Amino acid sequence: MASDTTTGSGAGDLFQRKATGLLRGWSVLDGFIYAAFAINLLTLGLYIFSFAPFIPDGSLIYAIILSGLYLVFQAVTYASLIAVMPRAGGDYVWMSRVLGGGIGFVLAVTGWWFILWHWVPIYANILNIEVLVPLATIAGFGGIADFFGEPGGMFTASTVVAILASILISLGMRTYARIQKFCFYGGVIGLVIMLALLLFNSNADFVGAFNSHAQDLYGAGSNAYQQTLDAGSVKGTNLGALALGPTLLLIPMIVFFNLWSNWGATLYGEVRGASDFRKNIYAMGGALVVTSTVAVIMLLLFAKTFGWDFYYAANNAYWGGNGPISVWPYPGLFAAFLFDSPILQFILVALLALWFFGWVGSVFLSSARVVFATAFDRVLPEWVAKTSRNGVPYYALALMLLPSIPISYLYAYGENFATYTLDATLVIATTFLGSAIAAAVLPWRKPEIYNASPIARYNVLGLPLITVAASMFSIFLVFCIYKWLTDDTYGINNGQSLIYMAILYAVALGLYVAFRLLRRAQGMDLKMVYDEIPED
Amino acid sequence: MISKLFSQEPETRVFFATDIHGSETCWRKFLNSGKHYEAKIMVLGGDMTGKALVPIVEEGQGRWHATLLENRREFESEDEVKEFEDSVMRRGYYPFRTDPDEMSELSTSEELRDELFHKEMLGTVERWMQMADEKLDGTGIECFVSPGNDDQFEVDEIISSAKRVRLAEGKVVEFDDFQMVSTGWSNRTPWDTYREEDEEELAERLRKMTSQVTAPPEKTIYNFHCPPFKSGLDEAPEIDEDMRPKHGGRSIVPVGSKAVREAIEEGQPGLALHGHIHEAKGNTRIGRTLCINPGSSYEQGQLLGAVIDLDGGKKVKRFVLTNG
Repeated sequence: MASDTTTGSGAGDLFQRKATGLLRGWSVLDGFIYAAFAINLLTLGLYIFSFAPFIPDGSLIYAIILSGLYLVFQAVTYASLIAVMPRAGGDYVWMSRVLGGGIGFVLAVTGWWFILWHWVPIYANILNIEVLVPLATIAGFGGIADFFGEPGGMFTASTVVAILASILISLGMRTYARIQKFCFYGGVIGLVIMLALLLFNSNADFVGAFNSHAQDLYGAGSNAYQQTLDAGSVKGTNLGALALGPTLLLIPMIVFFNLWSNWGATLYGEVRGASDFRKNIYAMGGALVVTSTVAVIMLLLFAKTFGWDFYYAANNAYWGGNGPISVWPYPGLFAAFLFDSPILQFILVALLALWFFGWVGSVFLSSARVVFATAFDRVLPEWVAKTSRNGVPYYALALMLLPSIPISYLYAYGENFATYTLDATLVIATTFLGSAIAAAVLPWRKPEIYNASPIARYNVLGLPLITVAASMFSIFLVFCIYKWLTDDTYGINNGQSLIYMAILYAVALGLYVAFRLLRRAQGMDLKMVYDEIPED
Repeated sequence: MISKLFSQEPETRVFFATDIHGSETCWRKFLNSGKHYEAKIMVLGGDMTGKALVPIVEEGQGRWHATLLENRREFESEDEVKEFEDSVMRRGYYPFRTDPDEMSELSTSEELRDELFHKEMLGTVERWMQMADEKLDGTGIECFVSPGNDDQFEVDEIISSAKRVRLAEGKVVEFDDFQMVSTGWSNRTPWDTYREEDEEELAERLRKMTSQVTAPPEKTIYNFHCPPFKSGLDEAPEIDEDMRPKHGGRSIVPVGSKAVREAIEEGQPGLALHGHIHEAKGNTRIGRTLCINPGSSYEQGQLLGAVIDLDGGKKVKRFVLTNG
């Protein structure tokens, strides 16, 4: 009977000749960097943590740890998909090949294209509250800071985000990867400085600095710290207590920050064997674990230096609109207040802003990939995949950029439009669920491809590892989607928002059906795209 | 307006695949593709031969061991060894049975390894041609094969000797009233492969070949293994001097040929077929020319290809990339 073990290295196991495309292994550190950028603690993390007071009995720290550890299943799921179907390009291709073209198209187009129009104002909001407003305030341009707090500023920032993302993608992946790496290292320096400031300063230092700067910069009273506590006091806030139920309720909120480790997956190149599979897990899972650890350390330092009650109260007061300062309580700025020098404050906030600038291109990047992949499958028209002579995908970018502008306008100026976009995370999570289901059933739907892969021999309790990991990830996603749809806390189960999202899915479905019919009328049945040729 | 959406009735349906790199499964699928897609012309782009030899080492007493994809496997029967050999061939590698002594010699002698590679590669191509002769006989399907930069020159002779497969390398071949000119030569690669040369030399080679074409551009096909530079069909991970992908494989750079691009820009054939860069699946237009690189997933036993209907119109409009 045959038996299997996994070797650590392929050396001496086979003889390779010189042939095109044979590469040595890629760097896990690089994969880690890009995954860490996607699970962006400074932008997405700090922003969503500010909503934690809405579930005051939950432990933010335990929720980060639990979800961070659990989402390693996501890393295993995506690493497995890459090992079985490398060079496929992501969710659209995996879903369309395993579950069918229609499902793949509808879920990928809504989750990686249409919904990202609506992420532009979300990115813009983070640009405003973490970059433009703090920097303008430190530089003494209070008027500019005020402007970016208004609808006009919101729309301007959205336009900046959309154009910036378009420029980054137009520069090409080579340049964009270098910019991201520069931003990562600069951002890490900023993060280390921030954590050091929090570590080496006391609560009394912070109270003094905060009161002083709140008065000077925002015109608050002389004891803004106490005023904040009074205005935003949250009952039940306890740093260390683990109330399991409320803590679990925090997880569907926190995934806004930590659901994106799969962005670090390396999709290109030939899979050399089991070690490449493990590398992708180390890169994505490592980013999850390390980022979660840094998040916990950061929150503990907030508790030590800001005071946990203050951190919650500041956020609660901001969202309640009754705090002594009207701007979003950006912890990076609060840490910078511990410098006396405005120049040093500016430098720190600017370094932390690199977490935004290295990440902003992601708002359009996957969309461009989906648009291309669907065009190559002839579902979308050929012209959408056109590029300039310099490789700029101008039509795909236009399909992202142009709709995002009116949507940003409506978001900024519309009375109810912002509520329509509440399901932005839900839609992407639904796409991930599609990929997770595809991964779970892959060993049965595509047995020959699965059996030829380096992970075919990984089993857990007699089931393929990919199925187990994907099932666990699916359970997680179903839990989040269920809570989003049924629990008022998240503010997502808004009827108008759900109708709006349903329209997006309907448009995607309509596009698929229309183009499939058109292609058939043109004599090209898209069934051919997915048909497997018999071998014998 | 409506007429622009629909091409004329197709005269000729072509199926194109490339870069199967020794995959037994992909070759078998290719031989069935004409019938499957109702194509009367089948074209296999370059790089038919595999990249690796997988030793199956005899331990004595009917026991064997081997390693594939870093998974070490041990076998205790002929059936198990045979099954493993099939899975190796499916992936495009060449299995061979050996013993510890020969393994030791192979590990230290590049000459012996080269000999073995030649034997396995050429033996496989020869066997494939016999399969093609049997499979395609009486079908009325024409099959063209042109080797690629990874294929040694002896492959051409073997293909030439096949009855139902026509060698396309360096020639103008005709089907219906279309003409196709093919080459597997590419611009320089970091791997120093069999058929690669500087851009100037490649340009000259292409010029000589395309000058023999007498059909009008809309009835001309360029089957050039290497994709045109900066076409999107030539994007590969950037690598460092140590042959490792930079930035975790995220940095993608164009590596296609400027000579190929110039040839297409000048000749403006209706269709240009490419391969070479497995991850750069897609299609694009250079002027009126539809350029296609169907990509390759040979290790998974998936035959990526393209079904193209040629109607002789100014632009090829009817095509689809397939995942067979």
